[in-house]
Amino acid sequence: MPILELVGAEVKYSLSAGTYGVVSDEHVIQFAIDHKVLLVDGDLIQAHETPVASPGGVAVSLEYLERYLLSPLGHHLEPVPRGYRIVRGARFADPVAVRPAVADFEVTTTLVLTLDRPTEAEVESSSSGMLTVRFANAMPHLDGSRPFRSRRVRSLTSKEQTVEIQLASGIGLLSWHALEGPPRVTMELGPARPTPTPAPVRAPVVRRTGPRPIVIDPGHGGDDIGAQSPDGLAEKELTLAIARRVARTLESRGHAVRLTRDGDQSRALTDRTALANRLEAPVFVSLHANASTFSSVSGAETYYMSLDSASDEAAAATADLENRANGSADERSPLDLILWDLAQAEVLNESAELALAVQGRLNARLGSRDRGVKQAPFVVLTGATMPAILVEVGFLSNTSEAQKLIQPDYQQQLADAIATGIEDFLRPR
Amino acid sequence: MNWRVALIAVAAVAAVALLVWLLQGGTPRTVQQEAVPVQDIPTPTPAPEERIILLFTGADGMLHPELRSVPLPKEVHDRIQIVMRELLAGPASSRRLAPVVPYEASLEAVFVDQDGNAFVDLTAPPAPLAGSSTELLLAYGVVDSIILNCPEVSAVQILFGGHEVATLTGHLDLSKPLVLNKRFIAQS
Repeated sequence: MPILELVGAEVKYSLSAGTYGVVSDEHVIQFAIDHKVLLVDGDLIQAHETPVASPGGVAVSLEYLERYLLSPLGHHLEPVPRGYRIVRGARFADPVAVRPAVADFEVTTTLVLTLDRPTEAEVESSSSGMLTVRFANAMPHLDGSRPFRSRRVRSLTSKEQTVEIQLASGIGLLSWHALEGPPRVTMELGPARPTPTPAPVRAPVVRRTGPRPIVIDPGHGGDDIGAQSPDGLAEKELTLAIARRVARTLESRGHAVRLTRDGDQSRALTDRTALANRLEAPVFVSLHANASTFSSVSGAETYYMSLDSASDEAAAATADLENRANGSADERSPLDLILWDLAQAEVLNESAELALAVQGRLNARLGSRDRGVKQAPFVVLTGATMPAILVEVGFLSNTSEAQKLIQPDYQQQLADAIATGIEDFLRPR
Repeated sequence: MNWRVALIAVAAVAAVALLVWLLQGGTPRTVQQEAVPVQDIPTPTPAPEERIILLFTGADGMLHPELRSVPLPKEVHDRIQIVMRELLAGPASSRRLAPVVPYEASLEAVFVDQDGNAFVDLTAPPAPLAGSSTELLLAYGVVDSIILNCPEVSAVQILFGGHEVATLTGHLDLSKPLVLNKRFIAQS
């Protein structure tokens, strides 16, 4: 599809999955001939029509092209006398609420735009003292309910997919950061320098040193505390502590790492996987701690995705899928399931290798009970388009194991083992 | 005054008479009895006893089977009711086993669709549960126990308090029916 190559996207066809993949920067779109459902950055979307095979490749309507293929990549079509031209900026953008806050210091000013959902944004500055915050796929709505006063920021206005910021004379952009938890764009403003727009600086723990960061997911968070030890250690705190250690360990060894949360926030399970998909992470590792009815149960175990048809249940599950595809059950789900399953099948074997590598390192390092590598249809692993595992580091319901898990030394041993297992898997074989 | 006393006395006597009449059963009702030959009266045939396999949580964090003989009807809906009743009642053996549903639960409803998907509605947990192990053993303890004893059932979805749930403790996908999965049954 040369038209998508015009916007810098690469189009690949997967023979095994029967799907086309459109890859551009951090966006991935997957669609299939004669199927209305497509995957856009990990989100399932139901289109009103289907792509069809044509002698030249794939044919789609102009609306399909603009809405589902160009818009997610930040472009739209504009009619011109003899056809259409592709213009930067998505037309079909969802709204994002933007709450500005500003703090003037002696020499600099910090301007923070807090967003009500994670949204990709870039800050550009022009020579006329104007900053433009450009949202790749969202229509910003400024929340003006709070007073906004600054001696260095004159005004903020939202316009299509941008927020324009008029600065006071002689003031320029010193740096900007795209941060998470909550999603926000922060800008440092100060005396203008004759320099071009500075490169974005990422949050310290989630900095990207390479194009494809390893994504580590601290399980649970916010209201969802997860399991709890007899002493009151919450799973959400433990997983975050270990995840930060894994991130630091991997970063110290030259890997880029991204956490799905770096604080006590709620994150939808599907959002965690979607982040990894969007970043094209080479590996997704979700960290958890377990609990059992019996306090005697202990040990670490590693899970990878089960399609619930992966082994001896294959026939039953296939029949189930076929029944659904025939429209005899949930009308919405058959194609969704099949597309997901096809995508999963491609990475299942690699996920098993990753699970074995990490579990092997945990066994060697910890000397705790080896509960082995297992398969289960876990939500957080569903739809991951890369090798993905869920590590249960131990049982918080077991008093002696919980006492070990709370120890920083033990947490670091866990982090070292997990990081080394990931490296074992990533190392060229 | 006297006539008032007399009136009250008459009313009291009437009330007592009415009460006595009511306690005796009121007017005799005419009951139309249809003569049915004795040999035509259907006698309920007790369901034959069958050995069923039930899965319970073991002290090793795995599912352990327990065999039990119970009268098992032919109809799949009734079979599921019996299997679930026995499963929720908990283990009978002396081994260290625990129910897979770790709270006081009852079966609220059962539905089986034409494709062999069974939907069982359990009482919602009174407090949040935790741990993937708890979730996996609950789900597959129920799913496997039903499928192993009801060949007509190919998959089971568990509802809680009448509602579909995406997940119970934040791990397992419970939003669709699960098929038989023997991975969590202890090998020994």
